[in-house]
Amino acid sequence: MRLQTRKILDRTFAGTGVLAIVLMSAALLILLTPIFIRGAGALFFTGTVEHRRLMLEKFDRGNRKQVEAEIRSAQAAREPIYRTIAVFDQQLAHGDAKERAKYKKPLKELKKALQDLLGPAPGSVRPMLMRDQYGQTRWDRAQIKLARVLYREEWDYSNPTKSGVLLLKSRAADFAGTPIQELFSYMEKNLDQLLLPRRTLYWQFLTDESFDSHFFGGIWPELLGTIYLTLGAMLLAIPMGLIAAIYLTEYARESRLLNLLRTCISTLAGVPSIVFGLFGLAFFINTLKVSNSKSVLAGSMTLALMILPTVIRASEEALRSVPRTYKEAALSLGAGRWHTIWNVILPSALPGILTGIVISMGRAAGETAPIIFTAAVSVGKPLALWQTLSQPTPALSWNIYNLATEHEAVDEVRHVQYGLVLVLVSLVLLLNLAAIILRARIAKRMRA
Amino acid sequence: MNTWNKIVLGIVAIGMTAGLATAGDANKIVVDGSTTVGPIAKAFAEYYMGQHPDVNITVSESGSGNGAKSLINAACDVAAMSRPMKNSEMKAAKDAGVLPIEHIAAMDGIAVVVHPSNPLANLTIEQIRDIYTGKITNWKELGGPDRPMVAISRDTNSGTYETFETMVMNKAKMGEKVEYVGSNGAIRQRVMSTPAAIGYVGLAFTEEVKPLTVNGVEASAETVASKEYPISRPLYLYTNGRPKQSSPLHDFINLPDAPEGKKIVEDLGFVPSN
Repeated sequence: MRLQTRKILDRTFAGTGVLAIVLMSAALLILLTPIFIRGAGALFFTGTVEHRRLMLEKFDRGNRKQVEAEIRSAQAAREPIYRTIAVFDQQLAHGDAKERAKYKKPLKELKKALQDLLGPAPGSVRPMLMRDQYGQTRWDRAQIKLARVLYREEWDYSNPTKSGVLLLKSRAADFAGTPIQELFSYMEKNLDQLLLPRRTLYWQFLTDESFDSHFFGGIWPELLGTIYLTLGAMLLAIPMGLIAAIYLTEYARESRLLNLLRTCISTLAGVPSIVFGLFGLAFFINTLKVSNSKSVLAGSMTLALMILPTVIRASEEALRSVPRTYKEAALSLGAGRWHTIWNVILPSALPGILTGIVISMGRAAGETAPIIFTAAVSVGKPLALWQTLSQPTPALSWNIYNLATEHEAVDEVRHVQYGLVLVLVSLVLLLNLAAIILRARIAKRMRA
Repeated sequence: MNTWNKIVLGIVAIGMTAGLATAGDANKIVVDGSTTVGPIAKAFAEYYMGQHPDVNITVSESGSGNGAKSLINAACDVAAMSRPMKNSEMKAAKDAGVLPIEHIAAMDGIAVVVHPSNPLANLTIEQIRDIYTGKITNWKELGGPDRPMVAISRDTNSGTYETFETMVMNKAKMGEKVEYVGSNGAIRQRVMSTPAAIGYVGLAFTEEVKPLTVNGVEASAETVASKEYPISRPLYLYTNGRPKQSSPLHDFINLPDAPEGKKIVEDLGFVPSN
């Protein structure tokens, strides 16, 4: 081949490599940026007076005097709205039946939209569900709800062979000529007086329990559940995996059986996680009955099984890459076999083993399928350590799925879902970062 | 010897914690099952735990079929179901030494929902059946826009599916093109985002989709309560045997009959049972 051609080929190869890396980084950026930005919205947002009222009433957080003053000021700003409606109600009650019938439905809808935005009207019965007890706690949601107060959606189906067209009908027009008409411009102009928006840092999102199936509160049960499940899985998988790896590299004689065993382990590493999940349900819960119901214990066992092959393979590779001379030197000094393994081989293989362990930890934290049937629930309290033996728990990965699909009001809890994603992704990234740093540190110490 | 002592001690400690854990079981209630009943179960759990902070109630939404299986395997305390237990399940329960007792949580209607842009207003039961068997495939055939239909159904594990199959399909088989999804919420979202879609969901899941009138009757709590709406059904909570008087489970299972429970059911958009 001519030198010129070889050079061109060489450059093309290098160029493709660089392109691949750039593409990958871009994909990562495109993937991670929205996760971080939207996820951060669960912790940093513009909170309304309703958020501060909730914090005060549920957790006794915030400056009581100040918050109460704010609540009073918001109530004062809302007073004209409720007064106008009460006046109109009176007017209708004493007016003729035709008027009453005409405004019955629009008025009911308006009251519902108002309750969604501002919470229950003063003097009304305290609703049972917490989602009905408070108005909008977030300014972004409040603006959407305000639009629902100002306009009602109406679909124009005049041409039945075409899709309907969405028309936004102003409610002010519905109530034209009544005292209510004035309300809408008042609310539009004074929304900030009604809700007193303020920049809010809600870091307790990470440490609060959730209220009313994730409408309010934080994600502590999920976070704690994931930590329990991951640590439990590591507690079971590390000793078993390490012992198996030491046996495979140091004790077992090379034979066809051993090769078969290795193939089996590799195959196990490739088994889809849902299979492990179903196996965990059938074996740990229905057959062994490690717990009466789904539990963190059963979930940890299933996760441990899932990451065991990875731990074994990584440890085996690490052990195998320790130079033979180390072992020979130790043995020639009169050290026993176990002594050699414990004091010479294991320490030099440690960086590799730890990396394998931390990376499988990231996998255990992020997997959903193995815990669906063995450990995860939609709502539950944060567990005490001893409860993990018998009780199920919410977990980050599962609740992301739950909030995205099964929840009855997905749009209302979208910010919680993003928050969950952010925390899970950060957790896995941190674990991977820890693996890299750990590896570098130990390797440096070994060289010294 | 020292090492052995440690090991023995460790085993004793683990045994004791396990014992403690079982002793604490009276204060946990595990609810599994229907995604339709999910909102009710979650709200009941929240309400009950608010009054009894020492009790932990967990709720999973995995479908009525899974709820039944879970109860039969004694892996849950309460199976939430949107259909009654089948004979085969009753038999399996009996064989496993489980005695399912039925409690009615609420009444619910199955709303047939389409995208809000769909001009159609009413369907008869027969038309719905024809859509799901694949006889009607285009909205044009019902006088709507020329658009192939996307029929969405719950999976066969679902109680809503079973009810729909008995009350609407009347033993006719679902067509090949029907799409199956795993929860009420998933149907709602699929219909919200697909102009040509049609689906069916419990009454609590009709926000931002358009429920059609069925045989001319609007799907609402009122029409379900008055038994006018043609596709309505009770929602159930099953327990293994009658729970002991004044145990947390007993109180929880009787919430649907308490005034507070009825209010919760109503606020969620279901119909309280009588």
